[in-house]
Amino acid sequence: MLAGAAFLLGDYHNDVYRKMLLWVTLAIGYNFLFGICGQVSFSHFAFYGIGAYSVVILLFHFHVPLPLAIVLGVAVCVVVALAVAIPSTRLEGFYLALATLALAQLFVVLLNEGGEITGGTGGIANYRLPAIFGMQMRGPWYTAVIVFVLLMTYATLRRLDHSWFGRACRAVRDNPEAAAAMGINVARTKVIAFTLTSALAGVAGMVYAFVDNTVNPPIFGLENAFLLLFMVIVGGSGRHAGAAIGAVLLFLLPFWLSPLVGHHHVLVFGVLMLAAILLQPKGLIGIWDRLGTRFSR
Amino acid sequence: MSKRFGGLTAVSELDFEVREGEILGMIGPNGAGKSTTFNLIAGSYPASSGEVFFDQKPLLGLPPHRIAARGILRTFQHNRPFEGMPVIDNVLVGAHRSFGVDLFGRKSKNKEHEKRLRAEELIEFVGLGGMAQADVGTLSFGQGRLLEIARALAGEPRLILFDEPAAGLAPAELDRLAEIIRGIAARGIAVLLIEHDMHFLLPLAHRVVVLNFGAKIADGLPDDIRRNPAVMDAYLGSHAPHP
Repeated sequence: MLAGAAFLLGDYHNDVYRKMLLWVTLAIGYNFLFGICGQVSFSHFAFYGIGAYSVVILLFHFHVPLPLAIVLGVAVCVVVALAVAIPSTRLEGFYLALATLALAQLFVVLLNEGGEITGGTGGIANYRLPAIFGMQMRGPWYTAVIVFVLLMTYATLRRLDHSWFGRACRAVRDNPEAAAAMGINVARTKVIAFTLTSALAGVAGMVYAFVDNTVNPPIFGLENAFLLLFMVIVGGSGRHAGAAIGAVLLFLLPFWLSPLVGHHHVLVFGVLMLAAILLQPKGLIGIWDRLGTRFSR
Repeated sequence: MSKRFGGLTAVSELDFEVREGEILGMIGPNGAGKSTTFNLIAGSYPASSGEVFFDQKPLLGLPPHRIAARGILRTFQHNRPFEGMPVIDNVLVGAHRSFGVDLFGRKSKNKEHEKRLRAEELIEFVGLGGMAQADVGTLSFGQGRLLEIARALAGEPRLILFDEPAAGLAPAELDRLAEIIRGIAARGIAVLLIEHDMHFLLPLAHRVVVLNFGAKIADGLPDDIRRNPAVMDAYLGSHAPHP
């Protein structure tokens, strides 16, 4: 159904729709890391960028075949994620937040200073997705690819969430000391959750690379990391559906608000965010749950 | 084993053992070193010197999660539930080590189902029957203590450590708790019970170790402990040295 919608939309709406699907993919991944595992990270969107740039550089600078470029792109995300997560989870408290903030900043700097490889401030453009089995994925068909990636991401996260691993993540979030006393390796659980969700963000980024057929530094700015955090909190932290609702709402909101208030929509985001934290810490999904129980009585 | 904090020796040259199916009580007045001993075994503090053996293998110096993996599970004096999960999921976290690494496929689903049934049994065993899906926030303090026990039992412990389980419980809850602890020992699990309340501990324990100022002052049957003048002094404080 999600993919079918793509065939009914025009080019402009298809583009908006694709980006919305990618935001949902990112938000449910970030929700697992932040909402379920309790890790405050600001590098999730940077990994989206790392995935996008990796696949483009591998394909068009190093002329690696597509399947290998995808595998290597994931490998790059995994290596970077491990390099950040292993040292920072050994420290207490918000060191992961600081380390990931530094990574997100450093990533943009590297993109700008990357010379020929990253294309500097202008990024890389004018490339096209190589044919897959002799077929060019275009228009709604490419949207179907995005839907597939979203559904695979969701299936993976849902399976993890409903397993001992998801419980271990929640236990680490709720009470690390008690989690350790139950035999959970707290540091390892954090590192695995961080690396896995970062790699999923990287995969979403690879798909994004062929949405606009251009990657450049401003796309992957730090403000997106905060937007992701907003999406998860407003929608309902710790819940897949909450993250998805938050992502759809905050992604579409500027389209409705811009004609009315111009760039002041950021202000509206701030107010929404405050309202969510103060009035409904369980987010929009919490309101939905309450309505559900009220009507079922 | 011994533990020093700076110049203060909290536990000095303490020596004791616990056997399968035995309830070993450890009592002592405040500051006697009970909690320190507990934390040394559970891995929360590193020991200054000494050895702890479990199944002839050394235990001291391992991090808490590896100690749990060896079959030693604990409860907390101040209940530490996982707030964001229902009762049954809290108990299932206790079974963490028994899941292996399977995440996908039929085998992992069967395992999950099997552990879920087991968790329900344990919830029933500690007397929280019917509350499996309840939010842990709705539990009373006493029920929270029972949840701590069910969670530790889910890890199929061979030794279970109770950190002042009677603290904060009402008299009716104490009887229930004693019954549960006897039931645990009857399953062949070794029980180490650290307790401040002598009236709760003495009828329950098979053997008692008494600590005072970080050292063992008595070790024997509960009846012997009751008659031991050194123990009574320690509790009444009549001959306690003043600084």
